[in-house]
Amino acid sequence: MNLNNKAKKTKYKMSPIAKKEERIAWLFIAAPIIGFLLFMAYPIVYAFIASLTKWTGTRSMLDTFCGFDNYVRLFSDAKFWKTLRTTTIYLIGIPIGMILGIVLAMGMNRKIPGVRVLRTMYYVPVISSLVAVSILWAWVYNYDYGLLNMIIKFLTGKHGPNWLGDETLIKVSMIIFMVWRGLGNSIILYLAGLQNIPRSYYEAALVDGANGWQKFRNITLPLLSPVTFYILITSLIGGFQVFVEVQVMTLNGGIGYSAATIVYYMYQKAFEGFQLGYASSIAVILAIIIFIITIVNFTFQDKWVKTMD
Amino acid sequence: MKKRVTGILLSIMLVMAILVGCSAKPETSTDTDATTGNETIGADIEVSKESTENIQVEGDYSGTDITVFIFAQEHEKAVYQSLINEFMEKTGAKVTLEVTTADEYGAKLLAYKTANDMPDIFYVGPEAVASNVNDGYLLPLDDYISEKAINDFWPAISTAYRYDGKTIGEGPIYCLPKDLSTFAFAYNKDIFDAAGLEYPDPANPYTWEEFLEVCKELTKDTDGDGEIDQWGTANALQWSLDAFIYTNGGHFLNEDYTKVVIDGQKEFVDAFQYFADLTCKYGVTPSVEQDTALGGYQRWLDGQIGFFACGTWDVGAFMDDNTFPYEWGLCGWPVGSTGVSMTRNGSVGFAVSADTKNPDASTALVALLSTDLEGQRVLSGETTGASLQIPNIMSYAKGDFVDRIEDGTIPYGDNVEVIFNYIEGTDKYQGIFVETTYTYNADWWTEFLSGGYEYVLTGEMTAADYCAQVQPAMQDALDNANELKAAAASE
Repeated sequence: MNLNNKAKKTKYKMSPIAKKEERIAWLFIAAPIIGFLLFMAYPIVYAFIASLTKWTGTRSMLDTFCGFDNYVRLFSDAKFWKTLRTTTIYLIGIPIGMILGIVLAMGMNRKIPGVRVLRTMYYVPVISSLVAVSILWAWVYNYDYGLLNMIIKFLTGKHGPNWLGDETLIKVSMIIFMVWRGLGNSIILYLAGLQNIPRSYYEAALVDGANGWQKFRNITLPLLSPVTFYILITSLIGGFQVFVEVQVMTLNGGIGYSAATIVYYMYQKAFEGFQLGYASSIAVILAIIIFIITIVNFTFQDKWVKTMD
Repeated sequence: MKKRVTGILLSIMLVMAILVGCSAKPETSTDTDATTGNETIGADIEVSKESTENIQVEGDYSGTDITVFIFAQEHEKAVYQSLINEFMEKTGAKVTLEVTTADEYGAKLLAYKTANDMPDIFYVGPEAVASNVNDGYLLPLDDYISEKAINDFWPAISTAYRYDGKTIGEGPIYCLPKDLSTFAFAYNKDIFDAAGLEYPDPANPYTWEEFLEVCKELTKDTDGDGEIDQWGTANALQWSLDAFIYTNGGHFLNEDYTKVVIDGQKEFVDAFQYFADLTCKYGVTPSVEQDTALGGYQRWLDGQIGFFACGTWDVGAFMDDNTFPYEWGLCGWPVGSTGVSMTRNGSVGFAVSADTKNPDASTALVALLSTDLEGQRVLSGETTGASLQIPNIMSYAKGDFVDRIEDGTIPYGDNVEVIFNYIEGTDKYQGIFVETTYTYNADWWTEFLSGGYEYVLTGEMTAADYCAQVQPAMQDALDNANELKAAAASE
């Protein structure tokens, strides 16, 4: 106790330069904090308040306060559940993309002729406009003129399926597209992860007589787990926010609304139906879902994420 | 050796995976929206200085700053920009024209509203007049616009934008029409000639039975490869179903727009089934699969379709040889049990913000865009050669405009009277504002479109079953819209 009091009494006397530096430091800290408050915290609070109203975007939001009516309605809204289910189905693409990403990254980690060109080409979809590549893929899937059905016809002599006109196939088509689109990102991250693994680990394994699979299983995969964890988290968050692909590649969410995602539904409610209050309640539920999944992921990361330490 | 083989295999895999994304664009004649086939093709319009120099604008608005926010296609934008340039030159005002697409307009306008930063001039459709007035966004225009100009509008539009706080059609006028459009029916004369068929008679629109017979005659394999490549018509349900429903006496909602009434309604169900049968039973339209591959509009432009919808805004594009190199004419949509050919009319109006700091300059510009005779000559194609709309001024439309079509100054398809018939209404023609015009939002209609109507067109479901299945969701959406309407009115 006495020691603590003593410590409190002992104050560092800061030099003018240190004081100036401290002020500047606060400025640096303030920038992201203000940014977070202004562009994250404020909209979140605003959206939550809006979700308790029947606000239509016109002047007085609070006059349309309705308590939790929107949430009650939401839980009995068949379209909400349908789009949530579809969004979840799309997440199947995440493990597929990760497996392909590792395989291709390992391929690109070798000294293959033209590997730099390949790395660049794989990254092109990531930096391309999502709208542009969505339009491109809508043409790839085109029933009569699409590349995919032309290949099928060439190989089998039969007309291919209506990729974007069937309730199941449209989901498969969207997943393939999303995997293709995200592949470049996974490859680059895994490539960086691979190049970070010290060669001595493999040499030690070689001395112990490990084969290729054992090296992959016991060295590569565990030491890539931080990258895998990062990709998993970001892909899950992104996966729940799919919108552009659906908007561009389908007409009104696809046949029977089969391709519509939760964000697409939210957009329709907000900007076509002018139900900003209801759309905000969808946004809040979506934020909670993403938050819970992220927390769960971080909680269980100790079980499987290994570092080199 | 093993490593080299693995390396080669990996290389092949890498290249193959990339190739998927390197497909070339299919061979179509024009750029097409990949999903709908509704592209924004339009005739390139050049607006010469001479065509706008006679417009009459009075007033000195130096120092005023006006923002105009509208949606328009490129060719429309060119015309509006030329009129605005002339306005700026003659009045000294500074005008900023912000143009977006029709799809994005609603969301962007909503953003302006939530930010409480309204543009001075913006579009409002008849369906949104009441809510915008209730919310205090619109300036009444009666004090700024001459009564003579208003009285010379088509009756349908001079009432569509009046609102007294309770009833649409009465009270002050809040918008001046950008246009009054109608969705007529067009036929490709070249296809009729090739089939040796007589052209449709605009005085006597086909019955449904006659229409089907003609469509059967027009549906054929023209290149002998064993596959149909020309069809009688192509039905984009979201735009053309109304024409079949209303002519058969059907309707989506009850009279006060509180109930969805399609389930078990014979007139509606029969019309919808007939519409679907054209595709799944008689095959006189492209199939659902073919329609997703290439929309009806594109197929019409490519000369594969006998009959297709023609909005008044389409005329400029259809008369452009680079876009549509065929002869064509207008006719009525086929008639159902009412004996009257029906279609949807549409309109959008120029509104002035109640918050504008420059009401005089803003209303003067709106008057120019909507009612000025020289401006209307430009927009209707007399001075540009490409018609974007029917003139708002009735006396001009029925006089000089028709004369200029007849003498070839304004290129137009045959039978322009079909357009006038739908706009004014006759014993055989009637154009109406569809029911979404009178509800707070169109969510109930979105429910109809997203419930899987395609299964009716493929024949996997009957129209009756679909109506029964989708009606509850439509009713929920309508109830919610009416709740929102009531809440907005009580604010």
